Amino acid sequence: MCAARWLIAIAICAVIGWMFPLFHVVPLKTAVAEQAAARFDATTFAQSFWPDKLLPQGQKAVSAEVLLAAIQAGPAYAKTNYSRSVGLSENYFYFLQGRGKVVSVSDDTVGIAVTPDSTNVEIALQTGLIFGDAIRDGTGLVNSSDYPNSQDFNDISAALNHIVESKILPDLRQQAKIGTTLSFAGCAEVDDESTDLHPLKVTPIESKSE
Amino acid sequence: MKTNRLKFLSAIFILMAVILCPTTMNAQDAKQKVAVVVSTLNNPWFVVLANTAKDRAVELGYDATIFDSQNDTAKEAANFENIIAGGYKAILFNPTDAKGSIANVEKAKAAGIPVFCIDREIDSTNAATCQMLSDSYSGCVKLGQYFVKTVGTEGEYAELLGILGDNNTWNRSKGFHSVVDRYPGLKCVVKQSGEFDRAKGLEVMESILQAHPNIKAVFCGNDAMAMGAYQALVSAGKADSVKVFGFDGADDVVKSIADGKIVATGMQFPKLMARKSAEFADEYIKGKRDFPQKLPVPVELVTKENVGKYGDYGKK
Repeated sequence: MCAARWLIAIAICAVIGWMFPLFHVVPLKTAVAEQAAARFDATTFAQSFWPDKLLPQGQKAVSAEVLLAAIQAGPAYAKTNYSRSVGLSENYFYFLQGRGKVVSVSDDTVGIAVTPDSTNVEIALQTGLIFGDAIRDGTGLVNSSDYPNSQDFNDISAALNHIVESKILPDLRQQAKIGTTLSFAGCAEVDDESTDLHPLKVTPIESKSE
Repeated sequence: MKTNRLKFLSAIFILMAVILCPTTMNAQDAKQKVAVVVSTLNNPWFVVLANTAKDRAVELGYDATIFDSQNDTAKEAANFENIIAGGYKAILFNPTDAKGSIANVEKAKAAGIPVFCIDREIDSTNAATCQMLSDSYSGCVKLGQYFVKTVGTEGEYAELLGILGDNNTWNRSKGFHSVVDRYPGLKCVVKQSGEFDRAKGLEVMESILQAHPNIKAVFCGNDAMAMGAYQALVSAGKADSVKVFGFDGADDVVKSIADGKIVATGMQFPKLMARKSAEFADEYIKGKRDFPQKLPVPVELVTKENVGKYGDYGKK
């Protein structure tokens, strides 16, 4: 009788333990794979962000001609009307698009004259190594508050810069022949109001020859 | 008889009112309390951070107290217990560990106390009320570019990392390497933690110099380690041949840049962050609830070319 009671008790415990296990035994490989899957992958993010959000937004960016005219009117005026900044930063960003004539080509820049009949380099598209956060922060499409770990947020910058270097710049270098008309979109980072904006240095996200 | 009793009761009432009134007024006059919890006071930069936060809170009318966590999450947890039990209205918090400090912040939140993180991050977007963080990554991108400009594109160098559990350590290292690693001739021959500590930085640098006598430069994750590394280089007679780069904008390093001893640092503006966090806490206590979860604070490159513009933990 006593043994039967014990058996029933053990059976009940076994059923409860099976239904509500205190721990799960998972193969090490599976656990590592699950952790990796849960980890943020900036490269994957950047690859979908680029065509899905960045390029469509590029069409809506301020016109280079309008921005240059505003800068000509006064950097403070241009900053107030067309820039965005992040946090408590003094530095700020422009997100712009436009078209113009290639007037110079060097190892690390393609000079564009945007104003009709101008031969001055008004926009310097950067074609060397790309550093910094111009694309991530210049568009306003990525917000640091959405990322628990700022390392993930910073990895986005590196991944976006990598796309510029590996996918955008090779085409741009080929298109950049003196006299060619290019349409472009990109972001510019300005350190402060003492920064020389002639020409405006722009990290390109897109370029097409016409 | 009845009149006498009424008179007696009235007298008692007036007496009690006279006795209790000053007490009530004292209770109304008692200042609300704000806690400043700092990872360590063993580093002048954090002393400035904590003191500025405290001073600003006092200016705003609060009774402010500094709690030192001594870079120990257990001490930090004990500090939070005391703060919660002590009836503080807000916490200005410099965490010890990005992951280990989350539980403390959540405990405070559950107790209805807002937490404003300063300088160091916790890996959460819903525990703290706001996190005011130096943009270490961008700062070290600029530092990396200046490193390449001054050291050149070839040669061996060392890196002193900060506390390994702190995101700032990795944001600085990643920002720096995002630039320097693009130059294959620059070889990082050793990467070791100096735990953001001057004495540890000195000790680590001494052993690095023995194992790697040919290094041309050392990148340090903060200024305390940079000062320790520079001290080790002076002792080894290599202060002129090995370039030292720091990060923080500590006063002694800014002076050392002016004297040509240290090459560059990243100015983090601790006073700006500390003051702003106290102001945010004040706004919260007065009813504001809409704060950005993460608020980046810029970092500026300080070099011999622009050192005159900086001092006293900020821009002059």
